[in-house]
Amino acid sequence: MHTNLNTGQLVRLSAEEPQVWAEAFTRWSRDTEYIRLLDDAPAQAWSVTKRKQWLEKELEDPERSYLFGIRTLTEDQLIGFVGLDGIQHTHGDTWVGIGVGDRNYWSKGYGSEAMRLILRYAFTELNLHRVSLGVFAYNTRAQRAYEKCGFQLEGVIHQAFLREGQRWDLLNMGILRAEWLAQNGKGLE
Amino acid sequence: MGQDLYAGKLVRVKAVDSQKLAEALSHWGRDSEYWRLLSTGPAGLYTVKGTKEWLEKSQEKDPPSELIFEIHTLDDDRLIGETGFDGIRWQHGDTFIGIGLGERDDWGKGYGTDAMRVMLRYAFTELNLHRVSLDAFEYNPRALRTYEKVGFKQEGRARQFMLREGRRWDLIFMGITRLDWQAIQNGE
Repeated sequence: MHTNLNTGQLVRLSAEEPQVWAEAFTRWSRDTEYIRLLDDAPAQAWSVTKRKQWLEKELEDPERSYLFGIRTLTEDQLIGFVGLDGIQHTHGDTWVGIGVGDRNYWSKGYGSEAMRLILRYAFTELNLHRVSLGVFAYNTRAQRAYEKCGFQLEGVIHQAFLREGQRWDLLNMGILRAEWLAQNGKGLE
Repeated sequence: MGQDLYAGKLVRVKAVDSQKLAEALSHWGRDSEYWRLLSTGPAGLYTVKGTKEWLEKSQEKDPPSELIFEIHTLDDDRLIGETGFDGIRWQHGDTFIGIGLGERDDWGKGYGTDAMRVMLRYAFTELNLHRVSLDAFEYNPRALRTYEKVGFKQEGRARQFMLREGRRWDLIFMGITRLDWQAIQNGE
């Protein structure tokens, strides 16, 4: 019971004020590549104020209480977010979403570690049975990271996206508690 | 042109009368099997008033993200179920579809298959969508057969997604694209 669930080697999960979220999301979303790797909604430019109002409403939803910031341990910099949504406690299932908004921190293990932290939280604190996610076929970097964290490819939703004039598949992935425990169980108290 | 998009061979889809559909849904839900075949959410009991408010709220958005219809029999205009598109993503031309028939006596008679065909035709030839998606439950083989009959293909499964009756069941991802649908209409 001595593990700090919120902290890894590179990053920690953090709570953030709506104002900080709004500024960060607005800054990150100026990079349309980031947004298009993250979300199927049309990339849009929102003001800090509009985003803050939207967030404050969103965060009222008890389901959204599992939205965390990703902060670097060395400089305490907010570089992204990770969150659980669509939790179904009756079935022990949740969806997870993650985004590293600051490009300087891509492909350096920050996102993978944040994902590992949220999986540990999902399986050992929320005691869920499985975690699901969707990833776009053109986001191969994310697919590799998810596989590294133990996710398995479970489905290919054909031609679910239209972007850059081309149809793309949506890949659904999942990890079961038993699989996670088999890979990570030893490190737990 | 000239075809009545809302009518099939056995059923017709009609606009939602929120009072009447709320009464029907509240009644159908007394049989827990209705919700358990329709939704991953816990089966619950819902009042007519609460259901009516929920229905009306879901229709407020413009354009609606959810398009609900009532299913009526063609021969005696009886309200037997509901069907709807939800999670429409216009920019990608994709939607999810859901369908439920209220009374057990109406199951297995082709009403659901016919309603699904009407809805697919509407999705592909009026809404001009590119694909229609649904998630089916492993424990509902009747629905799986229906979906496959109208052209849906299995695209994968979320393993052990649901816990019901003390065991784990997969959620089965299914989809049909406009090209697949068109090929079926052309008898290919």
